[in-house]
Amino acid sequence: MEVKKIFLPESELPRQWYNILADMPTPMEPPLHPGTGQPVGPDDLAPIFPMALIEQEVSQERYIDIPEEILEKYLFWRPTPLYRAYNLEKYLETPAKIYFKNEGVSPAGSHKPNTALAQAYYNKISGTKRITTETGAGQWGSALSMCCALFGLECKVFMVRISYNQKPYRRIMMETWGANCVASPSSETKAGQTILAQNPDSPGSLGIAISEAVEAAVMDENSKYSLGSVLNHVMLHQTVNGLECQKQMAIAGDYPDVLIGCAGGGSNFAGHVFPFVRDKINGKDMDVIAVEPASCPTMTRGPFAYDFGDTVQMTPLLPMHTLGHGFVPAPIHAGGLRYHGMAPIVSQLILDGLIRPEAVPQLETFQAGITFARTEGFISAPETNHAVAMVIREALKAKEEGKEKVILFNWSGHGLVDMAAYEAYMRGQLSDYALPEDEIHRALDDIASLPKPKQYTRPKI
Amino acid sequence: MRRESTPPGEDYKIRCPRLGHQITFSYCRYENKGLPCFKVLDCWFTHFLVEDFFRKELQPDQWKQAFERPPKTKMLTLVELIQQAKKTQKS
Repeated sequence: MEVKKIFLPESELPRQWYNILADMPTPMEPPLHPGTGQPVGPDDLAPIFPMALIEQEVSQERYIDIPEEILEKYLFWRPTPLYRAYNLEKYLETPAKIYFKNEGVSPAGSHKPNTALAQAYYNKISGTKRITTETGAGQWGSALSMCCALFGLECKVFMVRISYNQKPYRRIMMETWGANCVASPSSETKAGQTILAQNPDSPGSLGIAISEAVEAAVMDENSKYSLGSVLNHVMLHQTVNGLECQKQMAIAGDYPDVLIGCAGGGSNFAGHVFPFVRDKINGKDMDVIAVEPASCPTMTRGPFAYDFGDTVQMTPLLPMHTLGHGFVPAPIHAGGLRYHGMAPIVSQLILDGLIRPEAVPQLETFQAGITFARTEGFISAPETNHAVAMVIREALKAKEEGKEKVILFNWSGHGLVDMAAYEAYMRGQLSDYALPEDEIHRALDDIASLPKPKQYTRPKI
Repeated sequence: MRRESTPPGEDYKIRCPRLGHQITFSYCRYENKGLPCFKVLDCWFTHFLVEDFFRKELQPDQWKQAFERPPKTKMLTLVELIQQAKKTQKS
């Protein structure tokens, strides 16, 4: 019988996180404060983050020790198993070997506790009594609630009211782990009170919930705020995944030719691939693919430039992949990047040619998710399906080429509380749209006059 | 795909990529303090003629405010919210 799952013994749990900032061929440019134009410093962030996390945010140390208290609690679900997807390989009739890292086995069902646990710990040792955060459907909120419980911290979750009312299961998960979950807007903050005064029946929004969570942290000296995506320290904590994978692939006797992850804010992708990207920086030949939705081509089409944070274009911010501040093509908008963009480190690695971005249409992702469920059994989160779709593409490409490639991807979470999205697909309610070339050109012209980082190169279209 | 000029009713839901669950158009329409969510055109254009709808529905300044404001990074958002909360604290 062939080995399906490759387990690491608990003694092999990584003792350090990997910080790719130490190895990046092009050093990152600092984020600039919108008011002063100076780099954002520790004092700017100290009201909401403990100093240990702020230090990690800017650290250049290659490896950062994982404290023993975190290791003990990582063992609740880590090391996570690495699977060989034999049934999917057989279905696709591919010579490729497909491996996937199952991050869906965490108590919260996704990769998010990898950083939630670390953030809870550093808050605990810094004297924080309560952590605040915001959440929509509750994937991040539930991960943080669980990790706060493990460290005896209070957790205050501002859950968007419409989600609070319509998605009770993750709210109940949060409450089960002891979190105080309130519908946002709430009467507990000035931000919430202002909204409720205008509209007592407001269904809320993520913007309001973030305002409430930050305000609640700033107003209480015993409280801090926690974020589950985009920032450097979040990606640092996620590298425990990729570091485990390196050991497991060695046990399997393979090394990935192709490495794949889905990229929203970038943290699950970063955690999975960064330790391997270090190998690539040092000369290893592999294809590292970040997959995003085709309808929001932040990475695949956008140039690397400064975005501007106000209407008079006076505040250069984080350099990132973008389609420009005025990019409003008809009929589709580059919506995701208008929110926060891809994590700056991931953008830089794309620019350096170490990561290859790809976009996959929505229908293809759901078809891939169903194929995966019917061959390997697991029902993926809709975001994870982007990675699955790219795996299938690469496996079929290997078949055409007659190459026995080794493909490794991050199965970042299950979709068991996301079945409505599958239902919409199976009922034929979803459709695809490709961004027209002329709209891309218009967007590039829009930012042509803006200052660029020194390493800027105009992308191919 | 429905490509009609009127929005679908309350029985029609699509997945919100920000919240992570299914929602109706009526939520997206007013999500941003009474203005549409900045992603509403992305999310709904395959379901009906959403851009035409808002071109008629919104005043030009509302359109600009909803769809043409510059993006903010997460770091900027946090720094601004900290400053805002400090002002609240002082008052």
